[in-house]
Amino acid sequence: MLLAPSDSEAEVIVPEPSTEEFRPKMNATAVDVYYGDTHAVKKVDLPILEGDVTALIGPSGCGKSTLLRCFNRMNDAIAACRVEGEITLEGRSIFDAEIDVVELRARVGMVFQKPNPFPKSVYDNVAYGPRIHGIARKGPEMDAIVASSLERAGLWQEVKDRLQESGTALSGGQQQRLCIARAIAVDPEVILMDEPCSALDPIATAKIEELICELRGRFAIAIVTHNMQQAARVSQRTAFFHLGELVEYGRTEDIFTNPVQERTRDYITGRYG
Amino acid sequence: MQARLTGRNAAELRFRLYGLFAIGAAIATLGVLLFSIVGKGYTAFVQTEILLDVRFDAAAIGDLEDLEGEGRRAALQRADYGALLRESLREQFPDVEGRTAIRSLTALVSTGARAMLREKIADDPALLDRSVPLWLTADDEVDMLMKGQIARDVPESERRLSDVQLAWVDALEAEGRIRTVFNRTFLTAGDSREPELAGVWGALVGSFLTLAVALGVSFPIGVLTAVYLEEFAPKNRWTDLVEVNINNLAAVPSIVYGLLGLAVFLNILQLPRSAPLVGGLTLALMTLPTIIIAARSAILGVPPSIREAARGVGASPLQVVAHHVLPLALPGILTGTIIGMARALGETAPLLMVGMVAFIVDVPGSLTDAATVLPVQIFLWADSPERGFVEKVSGAILVLMTFLLLMNAGAIVMRQKFEKRW
Repeated sequence: MLLAPSDSEAEVIVPEPSTEEFRPKMNATAVDVYYGDTHAVKKVDLPILEGDVTALIGPSGCGKSTLLRCFNRMNDAIAACRVEGEITLEGRSIFDAEIDVVELRARVGMVFQKPNPFPKSVYDNVAYGPRIHGIARKGPEMDAIVASSLERAGLWQEVKDRLQESGTALSGGQQQRLCIARAIAVDPEVILMDEPCSALDPIATAKIEELICELRGRFAIAIVTHNMQQAARVSQRTAFFHLGELVEYGRTEDIFTNPVQERTRDYITGRYG
Repeated sequence: MQARLTGRNAAELRFRLYGLFAIGAAIATLGVLLFSIVGKGYTAFVQTEILLDVRFDAAAIGDLEDLEGEGRRAALQRADYGALLRESLREQFPDVEGRTAIRSLTALVSTGARAMLREKIADDPALLDRSVPLWLTADDEVDMLMKGQIARDVPESERRLSDVQLAWVDALEAEGRIRTVFNRTFLTAGDSREPELAGVWGALVGSFLTLAVALGVSFPIGVLTAVYLEEFAPKNRWTDLVEVNINNLAAVPSIVYGLLGLAVFLNILQLPRSAPLVGGLTLALMTLPTIIIAARSAILGVPPSIREAARGVGASPLQVVAHHVLPLALPGILTGTIIGMARALGETAPLLMVGMVAFIVDVPGSLTDAATVLPVQIFLWADSPERGFVEKVSGAILVLMTFLLLMNAGAIVMRQKFEKRW
């Protein structure tokens, strides 16, 4: 852990593997990310626990989104971006030559900051993933996947009569839930959410948060958020980042009620950020 | 404050007026241009015909009944249809005597009338030794006279038709033996030395074949190049160099591409001269940079969020491009392609270099036949001395512009079809 040398309670932020709820689905170990000459993420260790929601909080530019995008190697597409360190999924390195990035992304889905449905019908938006991965064929099999994904995303009641309408014609909140349905349609093990509510109004945000809570048992979820109330509401684990360093990681209630680090306390009480 | 506001409003009003004036000037110029071309060109679509009673003399043609196949065709080829024409004209004007007078009389009818007689008798041998009234194509000078292009009040020596010929035409007209009909020849025939027999079909087919080759070659190569450069190529000094070169190539004068085509396709590859294949390949070289640039900017215009979304659900780079980027970029790519094709359609200079400037009578039937294209045809006719070709030039320009309009309309339809909102 990269901590200020004066911090004597460094060991607190390392989750004890002995606790029974500590079941790391994914694990980042000593991850460094560079954008050209910028050192965006510095030696971060972070587990994503199975069946839990892990919130990544911190001021803008602290590297939390960058780190999140490492978990399904979305940064591969950025030429200037370089990732060092180790990230595992179920104990296997995701940088392993044997792991295909396409397979990785089918297992580790992603929901983006701005709702980005494809300019295709609602149905095709959800069916796209299963179709390219060959999970289901056309017809009743695919219909069932689309229906259940939309159901799980809490969108079925609203769109069941307009499946052939363009996904871009939905409201912002509906679009974001469509994107979540699209991500869960391929039945991933982990869902990464990069500020999924930042472009939404409070009512749509509440629905997404409710949805995250419902999904939590089935998937390991990692969510980047700027909204600390949101992190407190939806997550079980919270990681606080500052200037590319992981300052503190722990149970959400501990981080919010009794943070160990002074920087965490300052951020949570609104001193900066 | 108030004074500033008034000033700003006045400036805005002035700016709008400038805009309206500019648009008005553009529309007026276009109107004058169109009016002039249509005014000169519409007569190309009509043709004067003369009614003659032609007797298919068995002595002049020979007995067709006895002959079969090849022999019959040869007999039909051999027959002196000029004599038939001469006879029927002399019947019309019995008092004309002397070789010179008769020659100037037969000059009233187009030389193409002989071929017409041959077709007539070949189709229906029963006409032999019978006299039939036939509408025959008039010579271009008569045509010009009927269209008011030959002034009657100038001295005879400065006129293409003599006083006697004028009198004959007047006599025919008085008898109702002259009419003006829709000029089918102009839309169905190839080029000819005789204006009344010349048509744009050969050039139109040539243009079509040439453009088909140009499109077939440049569209896939251009789009694939653009996709590779935008989506797959690493951004380094080499790709920068390629990019700069493509941008420069778009500005190279078209005649240079003609020289390139001459050197590569004719001299090195030994492809046939004057053929739509070579013309099309040359135009493809010229159009490629335009298509690449348009396709790249269309691909660049696809929001990155769509790519991320596709990648996020596990689409491979090729699937991202094929399922999402290309469909969304297609309207822009099509627009650029049509602009490139429209430019290729109007191009003359590079085709001169690969021999598509020849006088070609036959309508091209394949990609390797000798052919010419519409703009070259216009250039050739504009270069001809006969008065009759003036209207053909304007007529061909109208055909060319219709071709262009249809192409653009097709592009708009396709764009509407593929256009999507995101």
